[in-house]
Amino acid sequence: MKGSLVGAVIGREWRTRVFKKSFLLGTLLMPFLGVGFIALTVMLTEGTETQNLVLVEDTPGLITRMDAASGQFVPRCPGCFPERDNLEYRFTREAPADSVWKLDGYTALVEFDESVLQNKAGYLVYETSPGMQAKRRIERDLSHAMEHARVLESTELDWTEYQRLKFDLNLVDREALDAGSRTEGGGEEIRGFVGFMFSAVLFLVLAVYGGLILRSVVEEKSNRVVEVLIAAVRPEELLLGKVIGMGAVALTQIVAWSVLSTAVFTLFQFVFDSGLMPGNMAPGAGEVPADLLTVMAENEFTKILIEINWALMVFSTVVYFVGGYLLYGSLYAVVGASVQSEQEGQGMVFPLIMPLMFAYFFGLQAIENPEMAAFSWLSWFPLTSPVIMLIRVAVGVPMWELVLSIALLLLTARFMLWMAGRAYRHGVLAGDSTSGWKLLLQWVRGNGG
Amino acid sequence: MTHALRISELRKTFGQQQVLDGVGFEVPKGAIMGLLGPNGAGKSTLIRSIMGIVEPDAGTIELNGTPWSRDSVRGIGYLPEERGLYRDMKVGEQAIYFARLKGMERADAVRELKIWFERLEVDGWWDKKVSDISKGMAQKIQFICTVVHKPELLILDEPLSGFDPINARRIVEEVRSLAASGTTILLSTHDMPSVERLCDAVVLIDRGRVVLSGGADELRETGWAGEQEVVFRGNDIAFTNALGALAHLDGIQPDSVEGTRKAAIRLRNREQPGQVLHALADAVDIVEFVKVRPTMESLFIQAVSGTSSTETTP
Repeated sequence: MKGSLVGAVIGREWRTRVFKKSFLLGTLLMPFLGVGFIALTVMLTEGTETQNLVLVEDTPGLITRMDAASGQFVPRCPGCFPERDNLEYRFTREAPADSVWKLDGYTALVEFDESVLQNKAGYLVYETSPGMQAKRRIERDLSHAMEHARVLESTELDWTEYQRLKFDLNLVDREALDAGSRTEGGGEEIRGFVGFMFSAVLFLVLAVYGGLILRSVVEEKSNRVVEVLIAAVRPEELLLGKVIGMGAVALTQIVAWSVLSTAVFTLFQFVFDSGLMPGNMAPGAGEVPADLLTVMAENEFTKILIEINWALMVFSTVVYFVGGYLLYGSLYAVVGASVQSEQEGQGMVFPLIMPLMFAYFFGLQAIENPEMAAFSWLSWFPLTSPVIMLIRVAVGVPMWELVLSIALLLLTARFMLWMAGRAYRHGVLAGDSTSGWKLLLQWVRGNGG
Repeated sequence: MTHALRISELRKTFGQQQVLDGVGFEVPKGAIMGLLGPNGAGKSTLIRSIMGIVEPDAGTIELNGTPWSRDSVRGIGYLPEERGLYRDMKVGEQAIYFARLKGMERADAVRELKIWFERLEVDGWWDKKVSDISKGMAQKIQFICTVVHKPELLILDEPLSGFDPINARRIVEEVRSLAASGTTILLSTHDMPSVERLCDAVVLIDRGRVVLSGGADELRETGWAGEQEVVFRGNDIAFTNALGALAHLDGIQPDSVEGTRKAAIRLRNREQPGQVLHALADAVDIVEFVKVRPTMESLFIQAVSGTSSTETTP
């Protein structure tokens, strides 16, 4: 009987929201917008990325030599300037005036003198910026070339031997990570960013659906339905049904987004790979059209998307969504029960979701330094763990910490749900004269009705 | 005798305010009992205590002879004074939802609701949103939602508020019909005519205490202070002289029928109306000699304020 009552409440919350035009529109539109964003990025990358032809003025002759056969300056270390899309180099000892090299088709000029080996500074001259990505590549290539020059000048090692001896230590904490939780692949910063993307989505979902719970409770108070409901259903059951029902709406939307996004992305991939996209439709003679994943891998942003461990991230997201949603959903419901209007509720909610907001901004900072101690503590603390732990899961987290964090979150959520049920009855049936913090304080003092 | 509802020594305090102060009464099965009282008397708190919405500090509530329990409350049909519907929900779906909360299966709920919708002539509104229907229509839907699960006990708090006279009469008929079929009804209202029309018994509470209770007829009889209405043909002076010391004359005026006069009197001895009639009959031609019992409203005012007031409605 009780189950069917809660089920009826869940069913009402779910049906009245899922079959709303605004929900259907938002659910159908989002995947197209998301994939459209990726498509736009890819199309811009493919179709409009600037072809950079860079003239390197090596006045001191540090990194170039004259090639007798071609009569042109060429790098002393050809391997330091790998073949790159949209980036080509030419070398000279003395560059012509700006007005001249621009006319020769160069997009940028790199200048440096003998002091470059000491002060590590040079100039990049351009009329139109080559872009951050191209600039980083130019810096990287020239740094390698300078390093090559230094090695040859200051040591008796040849370049190949130097590279063999060169050592970059990558520290991985073996004690803290077990095999199951170790993440393979790209850098921690990228993985952290992936985790942050998930936690940002979770933060938004918790805030948006928490707000919907608040609105729903306030609505039942203001339209006087609540007294009939409370007479039939325990406040705790009503609250549980409401929170679960709204959570089911959120899950429905998340699942629909996932399915639709996959479908739309697959369609986009098919269209792109078949060469029908504007940026990929006219390969030169002998060129094979690049497939979508290759193009995405070349872009710093879209590269992240294909490095995601989707299964692990989706599982963690669902678990932390459930726990976080029950916890914050209960808080929102209590606030809704203790106020007379949604506006009043929004004001009260702000301090309650401060931990979540703090976690969000802290997570942004923690991407660059995921090993700091506070990062671990906040990933265990239930009010912040839904946001923080997702970043750690992406970076790599010991299994015992994950289990502890989830257990603490679910236990706290269960406790909060129980507390909220008690506060709910007092709040929803209170008269118009008392509301907000005053009402909650009355309840805490045990003056509830 | 098993009562549908028995309340004993119910107490409830909110902060420093004693809202219920030892309230106790019984509602016999199948009766329509009026729950009366001025604003702030404690009626809503009493009803909310019965419904389990408010937890009393002390006292007992029995339903059908068994102690109060959450499950027994779910069978009660409850129409609160402050009531409403979800504005964005369709009427039919909403009625089904409330019926399901009362334990009905969906199929049964749909069947019974269709019958009620037809009976109260709202069947054309099944697929409309509540925001598209009138207030009176919404009131009918709420009434249906309250009674659709065939409750044994029905608690109606101001059920006629928001209804026009025609629909109010319609609801009164339905309440009567439910009572005739065995439903016990506790009716809280300030609408005294509906109390007169409907209630078998009343309980009047003031400042959290029961100040008057009993059968409606019994209370009106008990509250009768000898008021009589006399329609006669004859001379006013002869009429007054005949009354003598037997009764006090409150006034004489022409009656609706030509040549007749109507007098309001109060017997000095309410046990001997026959003696007064006999004396008057010797002096004038008596057309009517009617006992004027107090109205519920006058009993209400008298009990609450301590002042006496009667009206000449037989």
